[in-house]
Amino acid sequence: MAEKTMYEHLRDEGLSRRDFLKACGLLAAAMGLSSAPPVAASGLPAHLSRGPSPARMVARAMQARPRVPVIWLEFQDCAGCTEALTRSHSPTLVDLVLTKITIEYHETLAAAAGYQLEENKQKAMAQYHGQYVLVVEGSIPTGAYEAFCTVGGRTALEQLKEAAAGAAAVIATGNCAAFGGLPKASPDPTSAKGVWEIITDKPVVNISGCPAIPEVFTGTLANVLIFGAPPELDSLNRPKPFYAQTVHDRCLRRAFYEAGKYANSFDDEGARKGYCLYKLGCKGPTTYNACASLKWDGGLSFPIQSGHPCLGCSQPGFWDGGGFYQGQSAPLDRPEVVMAAAAGAVGLAAGAGVAVANRSQKKSAGTEE
Amino acid sequence: MNWDAFLAFVRGPLFQVALLIFIAGMAYRLFRVVFLGWRRDRVPASGSKAGGVAKSYAKGILIWPFIPWVRNTFRRNPVIYLGGGLFHLGLFTVIFLGTAHMLVWKSLLGFGWPTLPLPIVDLMAVVGITAMLVLLVFRLTNPVMKLITGPAEWLNWLFVFLPMITGYVLTHHLFFRYEVTFSLHMLAIDVMLIWIPFSRISHFMFYFFSRTIHGIEFGKRAVSP
Amino acid sequence: MQSQTAMNTFVKETGGWVAAQLEACTRCGMCAEACHFYQGTGNPEYTPVWKVELLRRAYEQRFSPFGKLKVALGISKPITDEDLQHWSTIIYEACTVCNKCALVCPMGIDLGTLIHDVRAATAEAGVVPADLMAAVNKQVEEGSPLGVTDDVFESRLEFVQDEWEVDLPIDKQGAETLVVFSSIEIMKFPANLAAIARILNAAGENWTLSTKAREVVNFGFYEGSHEHTKLFLSRVFEGAKELGVKRIVVTECGHAYDAMRWTSYNLMEVPKGIEITHIVALMGDYVRTGRIKLKKGAYNNGTITFHDACKIQRKGGHIKEPREILGVLAPESFKEMTPNREEAVCCGGGGGVIAIKEADPIRYAAFQLKINQMTAVGAKTVAMSCSNCRLQFLDGIQHFKYDVKVRGLAEMVAEALEEE
Repeated sequence: MAEKTMYEHLRDEGLSRRDFLKACGLLAAAMGLSSAPPVAASGLPAHLSRGPSPARMVARAMQARPRVPVIWLEFQDCAGCTEALTRSHSPTLVDLVLTKITIEYHETLAAAAGYQLEENKQKAMAQYHGQYVLVVEGSIPTGAYEAFCTVGGRTALEQLKEAAAGAAAVIATGNCAAFGGLPKASPDPTSAKGVWEIITDKPVVNISGCPAIPEVFTGTLANVLIFGAPPELDSLNRPKPFYAQTVHDRCLRRAFYEAGKYANSFDDEGARKGYCLYKLGCKGPTTYNACASLKWDGGLSFPIQSGHPCLGCSQPGFWDGGGFYQGQSAPLDRPEVVMAAAAGAVGLAAGAGVAVANRSQKKSAGTEE
Repeated sequence: MNWDAFLAFVRGPLFQVALLIFIAGMAYRLFRVVFLGWRRDRVPASGSKAGGVAKSYAKGILIWPFIPWVRNTFRRNPVIYLGGGLFHLGLFTVIFLGTAHMLVWKSLLGFGWPTLPLPIVDLMAVVGITAMLVLLVFRLTNPVMKLITGPAEWLNWLFVFLPMITGYVLTHHLFFRYEVTFSLHMLAIDVMLIWIPFSRISHFMFYFFSRTIHGIEFGKRAVSP
Repeated sequence: MQSQTAMNTFVKETGGWVAAQLEACTRCGMCAEACHFYQGTGNPEYTPVWKVELLRRAYEQRFSPFGKLKVALGISKPITDEDLQHWSTIIYEACTVCNKCALVCPMGIDLGTLIHDVRAATAEAGVVPADLMAAVNKQVEEGSPLGVTDDVFESRLEFVQDEWEVDLPIDKQGAETLVVFSSIEIMKFPANLAAIARILNAAGENWTLSTKAREVVNFGFYEGSHEHTKLFLSRVFEGAKELGVKRIVVTECGHAYDAMRWTSYNLMEVPKGIEITHIVALMGDYVRTGRIKLKKGAYNNGTITFHDACKIQRKGGHIKEPREILGVLAPESFKEMTPNREEAVCCGGGGGVIAIKEADPIRYAAFQLKINQMTAVGAKTVAMSCSNCRLQFLDGIQHFKYDVKVRGLAEMVAEALEEE
């Protein structure tokens, strides 16, 4: 029996072709597809690059591709990324991807539990070997601390390696899975690592963020589903369509930054007027994410819009990147007064030492003073 | 090593080390001179030394073209005069009245102050950078400057120029990604902080010695310094 | 080894005052434009801070561990005898130690004093231009660089008394004020002696000359040698002590005034209870208090300007007095040159420069600035209170065939005295 394509599944769900095309358009937009990449992917010669619209490209792919099984592993995480996805306010889009993929294993969402669930996982991995998409949420303890995270008596590291071996693609969602996240924050008690530090033999796509933006996750997943490969990645393996620009670049408060109008505290005049939050520690200038353009909750708002500075949650080590409410230009830590005094004392001693030597030199030169 | 880690390094440990070297170095420079021994001036004064010192600072800080003696020198050498003056004006505006820099002071000192809008600070940065370039060309071409310039002076120029130019590139998001220029800016600052105690950039400390001595010497003679 | 001796002196000279100022220099080159020798010739070596280069190098090499490292690595060049020879010509021939550079320096570095410290080292090492050294030796041996021996002094005083019919009290015990002339005045401007005598007499001053403290000129101070400076100063102080005076008045000689009024106290024991002042200050005082009356507007015909001497005005502090006097003598025709007062351009002959034959070309080149200034105000007469400047002006205008009357301020005052 030939597998049903995604389109066929959707038709079975009662989606009209018109609805399907609209959803595809939305998806294409969410994926950040312009005309160029899909056209290139379509194999048309470059001079015909004004080909079918992105939405049509997506639609065509969706019609042709079979559903893809997904294995979703959770390690040192808070299930926040899952929460964000399932409570996403873009139902069509998330539905489109989430309910039409077959999630073969997900601790939080699965109805089954215990041995039954684990058994299921083993079965799925064997059945879809080389075809399934592995999604990882949460960081992995390593080294001496490997045993700090176990599921069913097996360590996270072991399970990750096992699942990755048969995966067609690996997606690390959230800062923890991508860069270690909160578990890795100083003093890093579990020697936590991101997935791409462990799985090096196949591409790992990092959908960083705390949590990852649902539309970014689905967009990326859709890209994998549709084109069989993740979108172009940046140096941190994040999909470029979503992570090419900083939050600062697209920030709606940017004009106030340029004009030098800042909120100085969370309840002052500037804060009420919606001025720039740079002084309150906004990390927007160094944070690459789509918050400012895609926003959250179906484009309703995002932290800066609602009055909170960006924490830089899509960047590696954001927990240790200086105080959340300390201006970004400030050095990470202030030297201890004791250290500064010690440095001063060392200088004083050296200076005084040289001065004394110089004075005795002057004396032997016969100075009259 | 990615840029985020590098940025954390230059903003964190390296900056700390640079700052401590800076403090130790400046203390060394200061006390090497302070403890060298000061001859008591036994000359009976005919004017007020304190008055001389006050005037010395007033003139030293407000060296503008409308003061006659400056005008005279200014006419003959506008490049150093204007270049040097505008460079310092630009520098001080940027490092004290730029928001990002004020936050640095705030994190170090524990208190902050109001700052200027970015376009104004930016203009002053351009003024400072332009002045530095003009001074460089002048130093390269003027026979007097060529004579009194040694390798250390070229390094001084470089180590002051690098933070300024990277800072400019940073604010304008030019050429590289933000964290790259931010890292380079911080690196340049760290290098400069370490270099200052070993160079004549430390003149900002000895300025207060020479200006005071100047004020005393002229004040005691009842001459306007 | 001359360089050893010089180095030794540099080490001796360098205390906190010197070190702090050397540390403050930023090599901005601004001081070049203050120097009349640089302005006149365009030779970059005449930049004031370059004149201090040896002192800076000595400080770096002997007082700083990093400097020592630089020497070991060959980055910092040691001071050689040739260097001393070279800098000797720069600091003696192209510097009048007028200290205008200190006013231009944005850091306020007292460059004149530092250059004097370099002279101290070259003097100690014996690398001094021959003409200047000859004059110093003459002053050591005969008591005067211009050969004013006891006999000459006596005959010059007799000549002045006869010629101008003035009383010159000599070695008068119990006098309050000792007046010491420079040998230039005694030998070249005897009218100055007469003029000053008449002013003092008119003011009813209880004053005297001394055969022991014959003259105040101090070629040791030009040379930079502490030993010679002290020797020549002590001759004057000895004479003053013997006569028991309360005040020493230095006449129209700049360097001598600088040495006696502003340097001696830090060099040696100055006899207690003796005030040191300058004739310009005294004249100003007389005019202000009415002890002498001057004919108002006596010099009102023809523009008259005043040349500020570096050691009497800028370094001496007597800037107001000449203006007060000229305000009486020439209220309408007095015009200031620009720049003036403490900012004045040096004549180019002071600091011993005029005594050095080799310095003649650059001395004239520097004087060109003065000519330009005088031309700008259209001066018919230029007054000054320093006979060394006056010598330079007379020589300069002769060299340039420039038409201006050069006057000593004391002479002008004496001529304008209102007879009682």
